[in-house]
Amino acid sequence: MIRSTRLKVVAATALAALSLAACSSGGSSSSSSSAAAGGTANPTTLTFWHYEGDDSAMTQGWNAAIKEFEAANPGVTVKVEKQTFEQLQKNAKIVLAGNDVPDVMEYNKGNATAGQLASQGLLTDLSADATKYGWDSKLSSSVQTTAKYDENGLMGSGKWYGVPSYGEYVTVFYNKDMFDKYGISVPTSFADFEKALATFKQNGVTPLAEAGAEYPLGQLWYELVLNKADRSFVDNFELFKGNVDFTSGPLLDGTNTLADWVSKGYISKDSSGLKAEDMGTAFIAGKYPIMVSGSWWFGRLNKEVTSFKLGQFTFPGNKLNPGSSGNLLVIPKNSKNAALAAKFIDATLGKTSQDTMAKLGGLPVAGDSSVITDPNTKTLQDNFDSVVKSDGLAFYPDWPVAGFYDQLVSFGQTVVNGSKAPADALKDLGTFYDSGRKDLTGK
Amino acid sequence: MSVQTPRVHRAARRRQAVYWLYLLPGVIALTAVIIVPFGLNVFYSLHRWKGGLSPMHWYGFGNYTDLLHDAAFWSSFRNSVWMIVAMVIVPTLIGLILAAVLFDYIGKNVGNRTASFLRATYYLPQIMPVAVAGIVWNWIFNAETGSLNAMLHSIGVAHPPNWLGSPSTALPAVMLVLVWIQIGYPTVIFMSALQRVDPELYEAAELDGAGWFRRFRAITIPQIKPETFVITLTCTIAALKVFAPIYVLTRGGPELSTLVPSYYSFLNFFDKSKVGYGAAVATVLTLVIVVVAAVIQLLQNRSARRDEEGVR
Repeated sequence: MIRSTRLKVVAATALAALSLAACSSGGSSSSSSSAAAGGTANPTTLTFWHYEGDDSAMTQGWNAAIKEFEAANPGVTVKVEKQTFEQLQKNAKIVLAGNDVPDVMEYNKGNATAGQLASQGLLTDLSADATKYGWDSKLSSSVQTTAKYDENGLMGSGKWYGVPSYGEYVTVFYNKDMFDKYGISVPTSFADFEKALATFKQNGVTPLAEAGAEYPLGQLWYELVLNKADRSFVDNFELFKGNVDFTSGPLLDGTNTLADWVSKGYISKDSSGLKAEDMGTAFIAGKYPIMVSGSWWFGRLNKEVTSFKLGQFTFPGNKLNPGSSGNLLVIPKNSKNAALAAKFIDATLGKTSQDTMAKLGGLPVAGDSSVITDPNTKTLQDNFDSVVKSDGLAFYPDWPVAGFYDQLVSFGQTVVNGSKAPADALKDLGTFYDSGRKDLTGK
Repeated sequence: MSVQTPRVHRAARRRQAVYWLYLLPGVIALTAVIIVPFGLNVFYSLHRWKGGLSPMHWYGFGNYTDLLHDAAFWSSFRNSVWMIVAMVIVPTLIGLILAAVLFDYIGKNVGNRTASFLRATYYLPQIMPVAVAGIVWNWIFNAETGSLNAMLHSIGVAHPPNWLGSPSTALPAVMLVLVWIQIGYPTVIFMSALQRVDPELYEAAELDGAGWFRRFRAITIPQIKPETFVITLTCTIAALKVFAPIYVLTRGGPELSTLVPSYYSFLNFFDKSKVGYGAAVATVLTLVIVVVAAVIQLLQNRSARRDEEGVR
């Protein structure tokens, strides 16, 4: 008798536990549940998740779009819910599989990110909307690359899964005062650039601000690779259109140049342990004359650089530069207002929203640089426009395969620390690339 | 039971059932928080899966055999040994000395309030969020602008180490931070343990002419053995699953020199979207922790038994 009572209790416990487990998995996205509940009760509330800072050009541009959209669609409210980049990056695949999802969401572009969500069936196919709203003609081809993904989640072809409203590119920020001090003019060719670096070094100045513990070093490496590469290399490396050689050609040349720059002292060996923030603050403090990094630094530099005059030029001698469309606005598969969400996304490409972004240096993809009054902002936009016009966006080095970012950081640190010969370090990187590529394409 | 009258029997039964009811919340929580996730994790580890709504492919023990050939996985467990040095061995030794000094010397000669104040200071790193401490330590170790190298420069070191950037110094640097974080925990536990020791034992030993060190070895250490086991057990588990300090300081770099199993699992699970593989790493880590914890528990039981026999 005792035994059967015990059994009953155990069974009841198990049942209770099961129901509790069911609850806990459904409620994993507590922050979103209230919004989704609102969405079901009132179908004209559009939930929008993004993670840009309040002062950023993107937020301002999107806010302008929200205003315009709400005015044009009476009864519809757009509810913005702020997220953090990390939060979405790590949790999106879990949150979006549930029912409490936003209607529009900002998400990082690329194979390993938006491509993955697309291949996991978590995003809405926007191909019909792209034709309907004319996004396919409004956006240039290298900007469109990151909006489309095939069934394996590889970008560049297939269906539309997201729409960018702004772009970004890696450029050269420099300290005009230090250039003037040593009589160095803005370099226009790669040889000139190396000469300028040498002059700084001769004067006891380490020219390049760098950070090897995060993305900046990998982007500089990619600039050096692109210096010797053409569009077909980018197609092969990023879009898997052909073979990529990790033992010779642009990759080896770029790697050797990087090692050479380290040995010549153009890049400090100490940079291997530094983070992007360290690089930025050192440049702002006037410690280094040159910082090769992304346009996302611009807003901060333009505001915080006060002790010297800030200048910019595109990486000398490069037709191709790291860069791409900005993050995408996507519509989760389980959104209940997909059609309305697409209409909202179109508003973010409208003139009001795009011009707001342009004025703030946000590099809108369909903007008009004539509305910009600040000269530095205008340079940024003009340089971007010229890169885009010559189809010069070559994406980022960590994009091709999942987990490549960490490998690339480690690779860059190896080259800077000199723990392995550059060719050997590159070969290891190639091994990881090949296995990741095989996972994605089966080849 | 057969000798009992039916009434007593029924009452006992009812009481038994009521006892089971008390266990219910614990069992539910255990199932929801531990058993179900663990089962799911093992289930995932037998598949190749990208996560989300993507299809799962049965892979059997493939992920585990892949692990055997994965150099990064092995090096992460090698680093775990160093984590144990930094989070268990060194802090326990330092904590023991600090507790003894605070209790025997400062507490008695300077005053209990000073001892309490110092104890609280040593415990501070335990309370401070790792993310905050990580930012500060990142700055201290910054090879160019950090305070440590600034200090080394000022005393004439021309080329101070690139602390978190070079594979040879990153692990020791991380270990130093971990020691700093950990010290407070054994210190506090040992100090309360010392208060528990019967002062008569010391007085007797003192009358017999035993010096401080003799008393420390013959009385203090054996008396606080239970606490030592608790510290060793909890800290070893913490060392094996350490994650946050690695995440904020080095992210496993440079060149994988500070990679630990939990971060490697996280990396596969989230960044690389190799969910099955990440789950396999997590499962192996769990098994290792269970085995290590069981061994320590076993040693403790044996030692306790021996002590009891000794007393008799």
